Amino acid sequence: MHALIQGLILGVLTGGVYALMASGQTLIFGIMKVVNLAQGAFVIASAYLAFTLFTRFGIDPFLAVLITTPLMFCIGAAGQWLFLRPLRRENAAELSLLVTFALALLIEGILSVTYSTTYRSINTGYANKSFEVAGYTVSAVRLYGFLLSIALLGLLYGVLQKTRFGRAIRATVQNPQSAALLGVDATRVQAYGFGLGISTAAASGSIFGLLYPFQSGSHYDLISRLLSVVVLGGLGSIGGAVLAGIAIGVVSSVAAVLWSPTWSEMSFFVVLLLVLLVRPQGMFGRVERGAV
Amino acid sequence: MTTAINADGQRKPPLLEIDDVVAGYGAGVILKGVKLVLHRGDVMCLIGPNGAGKSTVLKTVSGLLRPKDGAVRLEGEDVTTEAPKAKLRRGVVHVPQERSLFPGMTVWDNLLMGGYLMRNNKILHARIDEAAQMFPIITSRRSAHAGSLSGGEQKQVELARTLLFDPKLILLDEPSIGLDPKSRRLVFDAIRSLAAAGRTILLVEQNARSGLAASDQGAVLESGLVRLTGPAAHLLGDPEVARLYLGASQHARPSNNAPALSSALAAVAAPTPQEELT
Ligand SMILES: Nc1ncnc2c1ncn2[C@@H]1O[C@H](COP(=O)(O)OP(=O)(O)O)[C@@H](O)[C@H]1O
Ligand SMILES: [Mg+2]
Repeated sequence: MHALIQGLILGVLTGGVYALMASGQTLIFGIMKVVNLAQGAFVIASAYLAFTLFTRFGIDPFLAVLITTPLMFCIGAAGQWLFLRPLRRENAAELSLLVTFALALLIEGILSVTYSTTYRSINTGYANKSFEVAGYTVSAVRLYGFLLSIALLGLLYGVLQKTRFGRAIRATVQNPQSAALLGVDATRVQAYGFGLGISTAAASGSIFGLLYPFQSGSHYDLISRLLSVVVLGGLGSIGGAVLAGIAIGVVSSVAAVLWSPTWSEMSFFVVLLLVLLVRPQGMFGRVERGAV
Repeated sequence: MTTAINADGQRKPPLLEIDDVVAGYGAGVILKGVKLVLHRGDVMCLIGPNGAGKSTVLKTVSGLLRPKDGAVRLEGEDVTTEAPKAKLRRGVVHVPQERSLFPGMTVWDNLLMGGYLMRNNKILHARIDEAAQMFPIITSRRSAHAGSLSGGEQKQVELARTLLFDPKLILLDEPSIGLDPKSRRLVFDAIRSLAAAGRTILLVEQNARSGLAASDQGAVLESGLVRLTGPAAHLLGDPEVARLYLGASQHARPSNNAPALSSALAAVAAPTPQEELT
């Protein structure tokens, strides 16, 4: 029982981080129907950035978020403008898969050349610190990472619900023609929306780098997990991505406790397949339109 | 007549001139040289069979569709190639045939989207208050999700939203389509109030009789060409128009041996409630 609850705690904390990563990816899908295969690569790139800022300049990875978030936003917006905007509308959905996969390979290539392919990790003073709460161990990095993820998810929600830009994004998702007729520039919304989705990779990268050793090829494993989370939550649904992230985090760490770490790795895909058998649109997906 | 004389005796160009506009989707041509003139303060009803290109005319005016040839002029200025955003800044607002609210957003957020281009919140809120006088629903259902309103209620919110632009020209595409008779009456009442308030409206109506009755001017579009224009009252009284477009009234049922086209048109224009909606 103790081990089970310990696994639950770990799962919720890890799941929060997956939720943050996946929220950006599902947002991008909601806005432009693009399955962004480069989301994982942007997370790994952000982990490297946090690594460099820490080892070279002594900037704490949690503080580095203040630098990497706006940077990732700009890179994302520019990347959309350069690579995705020119796609012809009729086959944009299929071509964007190739384009974002190419983008992932490009990022991986740049990272391998810059950092070589050896595993890196970010070792802060609190890397091995943990708290004891009622007999349960909570790792400091995981707790801080979870709290930061939740705070950023709240911020993202606030931007989408309460700002003029957020309203324009939701409007474009729900009725693109009508948004255009009210003066919304769809190309601009898509570029900034892509930037916003990519910007969630910045903090996720810092946390990922603190939790796990990583190298330039780590994004393959990451993107397959993110795809599971996003599809499970229902493509385009941010709330769904958050719940799916936490659900999958819990299932995989409980599976590790009850059975074995191998099952933990597999649990992402097992849960995904089981849920899709019952609900092909994901747990919270609507069949017709995005639910942003 | 393409110019009006204003109070100072100066010649003023009409508000809207559609001049030999050719337009279509992709390589196809739908409008084959449409000509229309609309003066300030007038309400013009554009009627015609399904597929004639009525919606396409409105799209070329609002900038959703760029004409292949011809010109669209606003107050004498050539605006043919301008995008919707630029047209909005000139006060041209388009309410499309399809539902145009954002269903997952509240009525209030839908109104705020109407003020998307407006940087001054004070003016926006003042205009919302003003619009609420004509359309009280925007205050009474303010926090409801737009998607949960009935078709007639949604149309009222759409109409209210156009007022936030203080529009010079309102393009209304089949506002009564798919509405129950009571909502339809509300919509035509609203159009009459807008007209009484001096708004200029280009109205497309499948419901030709009610549309013309609420308008000053009428025009008939058929296969991408304007076949007939004139005061709405004349069109309403014209037996040929009545037979083709106003549906069967008590004394003017289309006979069984009428030409195939005519009966098809009459069938389309028959005043049966159309409940199917895009
Ligand atoms: N987006 C579009 N793409 C291709 N063809 C279209 C499109 N919209 C309308 N059309 C075609 O253009 C013609 C005129 O349509 P429309 O202007 O909507 O007619 P109306 O409003 O008079 O019923 C129709 O034949 C229709 O099929
Ligand atoms: Mg139409």
